[in-house]
Amino acid sequence: MAGAGGGNDIQWCFSQVKGAVDDDVAEADIISTVEFNHSGELLATGDKGGRVVIFQQEQENKTQSHSRGEYNVYSTFQSHEPEFDYLKSLEIEEKINKIRWLPQKNAAQFLLSTNDKTIKLWKISERDKRPEGYNLKEEDGRYRDPTTVTTLRVPVFRPMDLMVEASPRRIFANAHTYHINSISINSDYETYLSADDLRINLWHLEITDRSFNIVDIKPANMEELTEVITAAEFHPNSCSTFVYSSSKGTIRLCDMRASALCDRHSKLFEEPEDPSNRSFFSEIISSISDVKFSHSGRYMMTRDYLSVKIWDLNMENRPVETYQVHEYLRSKLCSLYENDCIFDKFECCWNGSDSIVMTGSYNNFFRMFDRNSKRDITLEASRENNKPRTVLKPRKVCASGKRKKDEISVDSLDFNKKILHTAWHPKENIIAVATTNNLYIFQDKMN
Amino acid sequence: MEFKLEAHRIVSISLGKIYSARGQRGGLKLHKNLLVSLVLRSARQVYLSEPGCPPEPPPAAAGHPEEEPPPCPAAWAAEEPPPPPPQDEAGRDCQGPRPRRCCCGENRGGCAGAPPPPHCPRKRSAGERGQAGSPVKKPRREEEEPPPLPPPPPPSPPGEQEDMETGNVASLISIFGSSFSGLLSKEPKGRRRPPLDGGEAAAGTAPAEAAAEPGQICCDEPVLRTLNPWSTAIVAF
Repeated sequence: MAGAGGGNDIQWCFSQVKGAVDDDVAEADIISTVEFNHSGELLATGDKGGRVVIFQQEQENKTQSHSRGEYNVYSTFQSHEPEFDYLKSLEIEEKINKIRWLPQKNAAQFLLSTNDKTIKLWKISERDKRPEGYNLKEEDGRYRDPTTVTTLRVPVFRPMDLMVEASPRRIFANAHTYHINSISINSDYETYLSADDLRINLWHLEITDRSFNIVDIKPANMEELTEVITAAEFHPNSCSTFVYSSSKGTIRLCDMRASALCDRHSKLFEEPEDPSNRSFFSEIISSISDVKFSHSGRYMMTRDYLSVKIWDLNMENRPVETYQVHEYLRSKLCSLYENDCIFDKFECCWNGSDSIVMTGSYNNFFRMFDRNSKRDITLEASRENNKPRTVLKPRKVCASGKRKKDEISVDSLDFNKKILHTAWHPKENIIAVATTNNLYIFQDKMN
Repeated sequence: MEFKLEAHRIVSISLGKIYSARGQRGGLKLHKNLLVSLVLRSARQVYLSEPGCPPEPPPAAAGHPEEEPPPCPAAWAAEEPPPPPPQDEAGRDCQGPRPRRCCCGENRGGCAGAPPPPHCPRKRSAGERGQAGSPVKKPRREEEEPPPLPPPPPPSPPGEQEDMETGNVASLISIFGSSFSGLLSKEPKGRRRPPLDGGEAAAGTAPAEAAAEPGQICCDEPVLRTLNPWSTAIVAF
């Protein structure tokens, strides 16, 4: 059970923490999404203030063989601004809901970022040279009087301090009536999907003035609304396949080759409810907050309020693995409903080899489950363990009965400290864990 | 009994959430409100189905239907039985095949609507006019198609209101919980003046009103036999 960690006994060590130390959290600084790029060299975060911060991993230092490169700020830019929809008298939040990286094709990096209504394609490029020696312009930009030019020279590129520029290349707007919860780039690297509560649209990255609606679950009569779309993702290898999860705990797999409008699923993944667990809140806690395909494409993982489930795409009637994240909360659902925590949307992620899955919990705890050894571990993201290469101590929550030393009782958990967003480096054992306004980076201990 | 207490508490908490969701930045969160409505419906079912349902309203309540404005007397009678056991409700529903739906389930213009409408004109003048600004309009605007507005509540003599409150509670719950639209169409009071279709239940606003003072609902003695928490909330709002 609680051992040194998953998979060959990974020992997780604190590496870095980013963000303000203040206990008083500015709302704009609340981290709302975390995502590594395909190589793992770049780590992007989005926050409630509409900003994107990208960290870059330093090149490995050959002399410092005991640690991998640190992540330092590479670029910061304002992705989305608050908007006002005058027709509906609604403010549109600038909070970044999701960031997804495109695979790198040239020197520049591209990512998609989205708020509730608008998706933007950003190009992040480096500039480390600039032309000097113009004939008609001074170095400061002022124009020279042509009559003073007596000789001509060819401008040359000279090195300059590295400048990282972010520019919006595409803006995909006005396609969603409801709040966008997911974006996912297709394996064809040309198209991507965006999903809101009731609809999923398919876009081409080059075309901003139209998109195809591929899923629409809006009932003709809104009175009959019983479920909404909570997350959607393209299959990592099959460019015509995607899944979307619902607030009822179901996942539908759709094939775009079957029809233009994929309202009829190809597969429906659903686990029958355990009647002994029925309560007023059964429906809420079965709502899926995140769905992620494994890198292999054979499995997908879903996160609901209390558990993580792994599904084999070949088996629809139940998950192949279920991991309880914080079962001790089941008896507290009424209080969690009252303080709104029951609506928290936890995300989940796979490691690079699909052998370990990770998700967040409360009290700044996060959990990892090793699918092979069936061992799990609970760790805490806290500044108290902030010496680099300090191995994190496993934590344990005491559900009831006598509390052992070093255990924490359920009642003393801090429900304001929640880890909703985590990300795992695609190749290495490096993880990024977002607390409310801080980003923690942990690495495995290299010997 | 404990279930009923918990159900009662959950209903009032849920109403409070729906009410406070109206002013949220970024507009109505469809997902969260859907979940809240599902909880509300489950709690309502428990609340109504357990023995020891809401106590009998005073006999005067039974006389309400006749005093109700003419447009929907039969429907009103259907919704106003002294302690309404669910099965009776289903049977007596004015729509017949649609149990638990408000008497205004379909487009019945001029229908009396949900229980507290008599309060509304008075309440509207008191508080709602000040709320006629954009925050109040948000939930409605979020809809793609405007939901049919509830009919304007007919003014009723003040003397009736006290009597109506107690009998109203059970109907309030049943009407409100009947469909999700009961939540989405919660019209800010300021908008209810022009009736377009009579479609939606004014129940939409009722829970909002009842939830206006969630503190009161929760703080008052949660003994279900007395409807004081409910009526206090409704009147206060």
